[in-house]
Amino acid sequence: MSVLQLPRAKLARWLLSVALSASACLADAPSPAPSFVRPEAPRPARVNPRDLPVAFSKPAPASLADLRAIQQRVAALISQVSPAVVAVELTNDDGTASGSGVVISSDGMVLTAGHVGDRAGRHVTFTFPDGKTANGKTIGVNDDADTGLMRITDPGPWPHVGVGELKDAHLGDWALALGHPGGFDAKRSLVVRLGRIIRLMPGVVQTDCTIFPGDSGGPLFDMYGRVIGIHTAIASSADENFHVSITEFLDTWNDLIGPERPPAYCGLSVVDDAEGCRLNKIAKNSPASKTDLREGDQVLTVDGRRINVSATFDRWMAESEPGETLQLEIKRGDHVFTVPIKLQSQPPGTK
Amino acid sequence: MKPALYLILLAAALTQAALAQDEGDFPALPRARYRSGQQVLNAFALISAQTRNSIVEVNVNEDTVALGAVVDANGLVLTKASELKSGKLTCWLATGKEVEAQLLAFDDEDDVALVRVKAKGLKPIQWATNQIVEGQWAITPGLAETPQAVGIISTLPHRIRPQRAYIGVVFRDDNTAKPTVRMLMPGFGAEEAGVKPGDIVLAVDGATVTNRAQVIEILKEFRDGQTVQMRFQREEQEFNASIKLTAPKPGQRYDNYADERENRLSGDVSLRSEGFEQAIEHDTVLEPWQCGGPLVNLDGKAIGLNIARASRVATYALPASLAREILAKLKSKAEHPPSDD
Repeated sequence: MSVLQLPRAKLARWLLSVALSASACLADAPSPAPSFVRPEAPRPARVNPRDLPVAFSKPAPASLADLRAIQQRVAALISQVSPAVVAVELTNDDGTASGSGVVISSDGMVLTAGHVGDRAGRHVTFTFPDGKTANGKTIGVNDDADTGLMRITDPGPWPHVGVGELKDAHLGDWALALGHPGGFDAKRSLVVRLGRIIRLMPGVVQTDCTIFPGDSGGPLFDMYGRVIGIHTAIASSADENFHVSITEFLDTWNDLIGPERPPAYCGLSVVDDAEGCRLNKIAKNSPASKTDLREGDQVLTVDGRRINVSATFDRWMAESEPGETLQLEIKRGDHVFTVPIKLQSQPPGTK
Repeated sequence: MKPALYLILLAAALTQAALAQDEGDFPALPRARYRSGQQVLNAFALISAQTRNSIVEVNVNEDTVALGAVVDANGLVLTKASELKSGKLTCWLATGKEVEAQLLAFDDEDDVALVRVKAKGLKPIQWATNQIVEGQWAITPGLAETPQAVGIISTLPHRIRPQRAYIGVVFRDDNTAKPTVRMLMPGFGAEEAGVKPGDIVLAVDGATVTNRAQVIEILKEFRDGQTVQMRFQREEQEFNASIKLTAPKPGQRYDNYADERENRLSGDVSLRSEGFEQAIEHDTVLEPWQCGGPLVNLDGKAIGLNIARASRVATYALPASLAREILAKLKSKAEHPPSDD
């Protein structure tokens, strides 16, 4: 039995080898009014064990009828949960990293592994099983627990699944692992695997679902279709693999989303007109007032992303963080130029 | 204390918490109850009873190298071609008998061989005709009373690219410029065909190319030993060249870090595990020698022919429809052997 233990530096290179070739397509539809709310920890969905076929409560299936019951449930679950499983690709200091993730709210909260994610504010491209892509960013990671949180910033609603809990989980419970082993592949799409819980440890679930690099961050589902784990690591044997338990995410939720902070502030207000998004007011003593932006300027792009309507600009601002510098591409008359603007914390008394 | 050694996916540092735990301290599910453990396999006994007389174990010089699927009562068997090294071919039957076998024909494209075993009264495998769905049981029966292993369908059939083979050109490192040869790898096809540094690629396999990525994308479709037509420009002159592609041998320069690492994570994979027109991917953990036989559903009908153990997470099976097409081709090939040999 050959076992490898990989030093971190080498792993970083290996990560790059699973680079994807997904290209971002930008959604720029009007969105609801932006509001920066601290995402709340999801609540485990309530389930009733009596809803499951009896085959699932046996130590092992005992007949063809049991096997058929399992097959039927598994096939139904796959079509139910697959739309919420994403491939993720983000750019960090080392280059491009990729893995898998799962959307758990209609506004696009994404659970992934800590080693797939990154500190807050990195740009992420999400690819859904149907090939559609969405933009988003990292919210936070917990390296010790290997948990990571991301968010789709394009307007939803997004296909999503509920989370579960492990209080009532037992050894031998059947589980379904989904993800993108080897990276996203449009010809192949999502890869599903079945297994059973073989060990329950604090913070970690071990199953015999097979997983592979690229699956990292992908979801483990129970037979109710709830996320109970996120793929994190493999052992030397192909049928003994590790998933961070959902409990670990919920217990460390506040660490993951980071300390409470005021929204970012630039001192610009924008309106829609026939041309697109136009600056109509610049607050005094604001970050914007220190630039050569003028009221009446048209905003073409922010950090390279096209802004067609004011709501997109507002949403971008709501998702940004104090201290970040945004590049605004501005059109004034026939003149097009770029203005950097460094965001501040929202001063008291402003809104 | 059993040492807990973890492999980490991608750039992971495994959780400190988990490293500090010894998994041996926690109760574990007995192996017999794993997805492919004996207790679970027992539930599939009827499937094995129904199929074991349609399966053979293929031996070369007494070593079992593959399973095979019986496709007619007079002993025609489909199996995995690349496992049949030269030597004395025999087959084990479910009856416990070892019989002589003879290679009739093989299909290089999808790695299938047609073999005749010297036995009468074999039961041909029944082919499934209904659609495959993700999540359905994928059962690999053998000669025993319960299957070799079981899994589920992981993805619907898709094309499996061939193993990368190379013409042996390193291009200038600029993806926006015309594809320009920077250097040649010694011993590869491009050098042999007279390509020189500075040559610009104009077309590959009939398609005009304008950058390096396009060239590589087309070349990825070629297998070891195949020849590609390319058009080059050298100063004012244009010329065509036929260039042979070669898969790197172990230790050769193209053997990059990632490939090697992934193979080591995956354990034993089939010698030929890439380059199939269509394959169902399933999550059954098989040994390479357990390929070549039928992959069946809960009705005991063959949904495919296991063709390769491909990675830690994937075993490939040619879909039943493709396997039957190949069978028809191989039968006619066996009856009308090509005369130019």
